[in-house]
Amino acid sequence: MSAQPVRYDAVTVTERVHWIGALDPTMRTFDVILKTPNGTTYNAYLVRGSEGVAVIDTVKAERADQFFARLEAVADYREIKVIVLNHLEPDHSGALPELMRRAPQAKLYISDAAQLMLKALLNNNDIDYIPVTTNDSVSLGDCTLRFLNTPYLHWPDTQCTYLVEEGVLFSGDVFGCHYCDEQLFNDRVGDFRFSFEYYYAHIMRPFKSYVLSALELIEPLPVRLIAPTHGPILRDHPQHYIQRYRELSTPRLHLEMDRDIKTMIIFYISSYGNTMHMAEAIRDGAAEVGGFRISLYDLEGGEVEPFIDLVEEADAILVGSPTINGDAVKPVWDLLSSFARINVKGKVAGAFGSYGWTGEAVRMIDDRLRGLKMRVPLGGLRIKLIPGADELKDCHLFGRDIGEFLMGKPRAREIDMSQL
Amino acid sequence: MAKAKIKFADVNVTVTVPVGTRIIEISEKVGSYIAYNCREGDCGSCLFTVLDGAEHLSKPSALENATLFAHFQQVLDGWRGAGDMEALQEMMKRENFAGKICRLACQTQVFGDATVAPL
Repeated sequence: MSAQPVRYDAVTVTERVHWIGALDPTMRTFDVILKTPNGTTYNAYLVRGSEGVAVIDTVKAERADQFFARLEAVADYREIKVIVLNHLEPDHSGALPELMRRAPQAKLYISDAAQLMLKALLNNNDIDYIPVTTNDSVSLGDCTLRFLNTPYLHWPDTQCTYLVEEGVLFSGDVFGCHYCDEQLFNDRVGDFRFSFEYYYAHIMRPFKSYVLSALELIEPLPVRLIAPTHGPILRDHPQHYIQRYRELSTPRLHLEMDRDIKTMIIFYISSYGNTMHMAEAIRDGAAEVGGFRISLYDLEGGEVEPFIDLVEEADAILVGSPTINGDAVKPVWDLLSSFARINVKGKVAGAFGSYGWTGEAVRMIDDRLRGLKMRVPLGGLRIKLIPGADELKDCHLFGRDIGEFLMGKPRAREIDMSQL
Repeated sequence: MAKAKIKFADVNVTVTVPVGTRIIEISEKVGSYIAYNCREGDCGSCLFTVLDGAEHLSKPSALENATLFAHFQQVLDGWRGAGDMEALQEMMKRENFAGKICRLACQTQVFGDATVAPL
């Protein structure tokens, strides 16, 4: 008995648009960091105009057979005039080289920032392409594709493409999620809201300010359908998803409390109370500067998740840890390793801690904070065992100096590079 | 070894460094607002401005010049339709704006006393 060959059909999305992507229901871990319990889809689209066809995005190389079969069901390669890649990550560019081989007459449209990546990803310097940015467009006769430059969602190269006549936004990874349901459309698939939120939290969240910039371009458009590169096609209430991105990306603290007051958070963990006493003296020193809110949190008393929410909206973060076996303790690393999920770049930061023997923790935390591109104005403060009166004074000055730095009035300092 | 003093105006710190030190090796250690990313002269993130002593800094390489001009083009694109377009264009038209006043921290070496700040 021979198995029936699988037939891959294109799916009609609108009058001019077909979905020609690929289903990947067996995928469980995406890009190392993302879990998905029912797989994902790689969405690619075909747009038919009166004077030619455009292919928008491709799929992962391993699923290229589905993509080409669906494409062939609705178009001939010779009709393809335009190929648009909204994002060059391999799950969307995987089938590009083969597509360009089959449709050599087609012109490739990518964002300005995608140019260098294209060469590095395909290891080919001879690819012909047209770099585009906001307001550039390409005509397919009776319809027009307009480009929106929306960088860092979630790579430097990302852009969106808008089919003007039908109000279709090909949004790349924006508004996407890892959710595989062959019903494809948001009004027919299962409840995928958890996946939409999860995808935003892990992929878009570190780039909130770029999301807001992109929304400035997207919100004025009369979008009737959002066609992302992963997960359901959003044809029912597409504006709802745009609004949700606006909500998720808008800083809440500054809306709900005084918007002009800065926030300093001092996290610590302490085995014998020494690092805690340092934290309190640092807080008192910072409070002397005044003009900003200061919170002191014991890492032992909380979970990483709400702390990360606090860090995201704070302006200065100080972290105190004792040294145990030559290292900062695990709750500190759990916190610091989670900083990568939000944008901490440019926030003021510092480290401190009491130690018994060698005190490596503070320098390690300093390195981590600098590695995250936080601004660490002072080298971390280390105190051997129980802080005495003079040492508590050092803590006080440390807090004061960082407070002044936070408030934009740092004291003049002259140092030698060897001290850094 | 010959030394030079480089001042980061935004954080009010003056650092004595061996001649030849790159700005980025110091800026991130004093918490200056100068941002950085690729450290290879490619991305343009570490743009800073020279307030004093430009002649004591290394000359921009062809790579640095190319990145500076690409960066300004991007800024210009970003400002399209923003209203302040004319003011921005005027600013950028200034002779040798990129290269003289604006530099990349990952490329620029200190050869004598200078004062710098984030852009």
